Amino acid sequence: MQPIESLKQIKQITIEYFTAAHSARQNGKPVVYVNVFTPVELLYAMDMFPIYPENHAAILGARKMSPAVAPAAEAMGYPIDVCSYARCDFGAIKTGQSPTFGLPKPDLLLVSNCQCGTLAKWFEVLSRHYQVPMVLIDVPHSGRGEPDPAAERYVRAQLEDLVGLTEKITGKTLDQDRFKETIRVSRKASELWTRMLALGTSIPAPMTVFDQFVAMFPIVSQRGTQAAIDFYQALVNELEQRVAQGIGAVENERYRLFWDNLPIWPEMRTLSTFLSDHGAALVTSIYTWAWSKLAVSEDDPFGDWTQQYLYEMNFHLNKRIEHYSQLAREYKLNGFLYHSNRSCKYLSQDIPEVRRAVTEETGVPGVIIEADHNDPRLYTIESIQNQIGSFLELLDVKRIQAAS
Amino acid sequence: MSVADPWKPFREVMQAPWDHVAAWKKKSGRKVMGHLLPDVPEEILHGAGLFPVAIEGGGVQASHAQALIPSYTCSHALGAMEMRLRGDLNVLDGMVIPYVCDTTRNLFHIWNLQFPNMANELLRMPKRLDYPGVRTYLAAEFSRLFESMAKLSGKSANTQDLGESIRLYNRSRARLREAYDLHRTNPSVWTAAKAQLLIGSSLRAPREDHLKWMDALPWDEKGAAASVDRIPVYVRGKVWDPPQILDLFDQLGFVIVRDETVTGWRSIAQDAPANGDPIAALVERHMAAIPYTGYHESPDRMVAGFVLRVRSSGAGGVVFLNPKFCEAAAFDTPDFQKGLEQAQIPSLILETSTRGVSMGQVRVRLEAFREMIGNDLP
Ligand code: SF4
Ligand code: SF4
Repeated sequence: MQPIESLKQIKQITIEYFTAAHSARQNGKPVVYVNVFTPVELLYAMDMFPIYPENHAAILGARKMSPAVAPAAEAMGYPIDVCSYARCDFGAIKTGQSPTFGLPKPDLLLVSNCQCGTLAKWFEVLSRHYQVPMVLIDVPHSGRGEPDPAAERYVRAQLEDLVGLTEKITGKTLDQDRFKETIRVSRKASELWTRMLALGTSIPAPMTVFDQFVAMFPIVSQRGTQAAIDFYQALVNELEQRVAQGIGAVENERYRLFWDNLPIWPEMRTLSTFLSDHGAALVTSIYTWAWSKLAVSEDDPFGDWTQQYLYEMNFHLNKRIEHYSQLAREYKLNGFLYHSNRSCKYLSQDIPEVRRAVTEETGVPGVIIEADHNDPRLYTIESIQNQIGSFLELLDVKRIQAAS
Repeated sequence: MSVADPWKPFREVMQAPWDHVAAWKKKSGRKVMGHLLPDVPEEILHGAGLFPVAIEGGGVQASHAQALIPSYTCSHALGAMEMRLRGDLNVLDGMVIPYVCDTTRNLFHIWNLQFPNMANELLRMPKRLDYPGVRTYLAAEFSRLFESMAKLSGKSANTQDLGESIRLYNRSRARLREAYDLHRTNPSVWTAAKAQLLIGSSLRAPREDHLKWMDALPWDEKGAAASVDRIPVYVRGKVWDPPQILDLFDQLGFVIVRDETVTGWRSIAQDAPANGDPIAALVERHMAAIPYTGYHESPDRMVAGFVLRVRSSGAGGVVFLNPKFCEAAAFDTPDFQKGLEQAQIPSLILETSTRGVSMGQVRVRLEAFREMIGNDLP
């Protein structure tokens, strides 16, 4: 198997990002903790430094540090049932253990709840801990996605208020040209990311979802910067070449699978090897698609964000069924691996229904894997491998039946 | 005492709520709208000509529901689904589920897919309590609900009717507050279980009837004065889960001076202004209510407000009845406990669960807690 060269840059990009984060703090640049569905382009344009605690928690998980830090959060009174990202974050603060030397102290916490409600509660704890203000961008979940003009006004007003708030914190006036430029740069990164995802439709797929998870760092942490564009441009070029040459990420690709929910960060390597050994390629996933929808226009960014947060990111059962069914066709999927993630109620509670409906709609079967995205104390890798192994056998049976 | 037991109607409602709802439905010809707690304004459903009935999933042993929702879901949501699957809720014409957390948001969509023949509504509750624009948004959302409910019942959304409903519910709440206060002053007669029996049944019976039954209660009945060793306690939680916990509080000599459960004090503490625009009045009531755990205001104020409420209640200790798998409560509790510690108020966390809890263990923990507070009290 030929490794993807461009991915080797990720390590350096990560180091540079965290170095810049720590020096931002030292140089008096305001540090803002955010989640994905916040207008970070505004923060970049205001010379503020956005940081994603989820991202830091994922690094702890991927480095298998969760069992060392999460128990500290549990000792503080946060039950093992709450999101393991949050527990890892609190535990890292408490113990000081972190491969990135922790995160610099924030000046502001900015979070939207169109992702999950957990983040808002998590940030409330951080706000009290660091004694810094918090702003919640409250996005009322718009039911089945029908237009909700009152909610549009409510969300837009909250977003527009951020301009005044950031101006107050920085003592600067928003430079509209710079704002527009950041939006352009961010959109470009998002477009490249989408192109990269679309390349997964090729047979064989030039890249697996595991590689996409690795490649996510800049689109999560640095959209709105040139660094993200450079990285994704190089990656897309390389993948296009692989497609042209028929090079697959998995040798002898036999199964094309979908990964639902978050990755199981501590098991990335183990699962990647396991699947690859079985000729199974994870060709697409819902998690990585989220970042393809974040582009806004320079003309009315606040209007676009409002639409996005209210309707695009209003992720729910019916939309999920539709979306997955479409992906099943586009990516010629043989099966769905549904990660039922104890931590993430938001993305997991409707999985039984999603599986039932998607199989009904497309005929593509799925298996539900009970695990956790960041806490290996909540699953065993053997049982995950057994479940996936049996599922692949089932796919073989289906294939034989279809051929006969 | 009159020949008939004046407490009987309340007990009957709680023992077989769905039989009664079915009978009332038949008698009144009104459609029945279930609503998941908290914060669906019952006045809106009532004013629209429907019969509102609260659904409380706590205390229900879930078995069928786990095929549809994973077991790491709070008992409130799992229990509601279980009740629907086992047929308890067949009498409902529709269901309003408020978006107060990720779980209720998911529950709504699963519910809607599973039970397409019901009129299902998601009430899009805003989470910010600290933002001026929230009132305008909430007013629009309440109006939307009112219109949709009126359409369901086949009448036009009439604000006069809504005003009437508000006044009815205000009268009911005033009576319920009276009962709650009698529990404080006269707990040997007005036990916690009795006070909560009134509140719980009010959420399941037609309010007009319920008010009449309450009027017939022996309000002047004197009992032994509160004995000195009654321990005043404050309860924070979602619902009374397990339901038998109320008897336990009574047996162990606690007085619940205030609580924040959505089927307890929180649900009766505030009235809506009786005059003026009824939708604005309901918004006013919502904004004045004790903030539900899923909502957001300045994080420091959340803790300070809680500690202040506890202090002014005169409670000697706090019991947290935290639903297992409720993220919001889980994130709030440690800092709330810290705030209490600073104010030198002891607290105890009891976790509720769909798998049921051992009442023996709950008793032991409450007894130990009682000893601890008892020793601290002057
Ligand atoms: S893992 Fe799920 S619950 Fe946790 S922060 Fe992410 S979206 Fe929210
Ligand atoms: S806020 Fe907590 S108790 Fe209430 S429905 Fe959500 S998870 Fe359940």
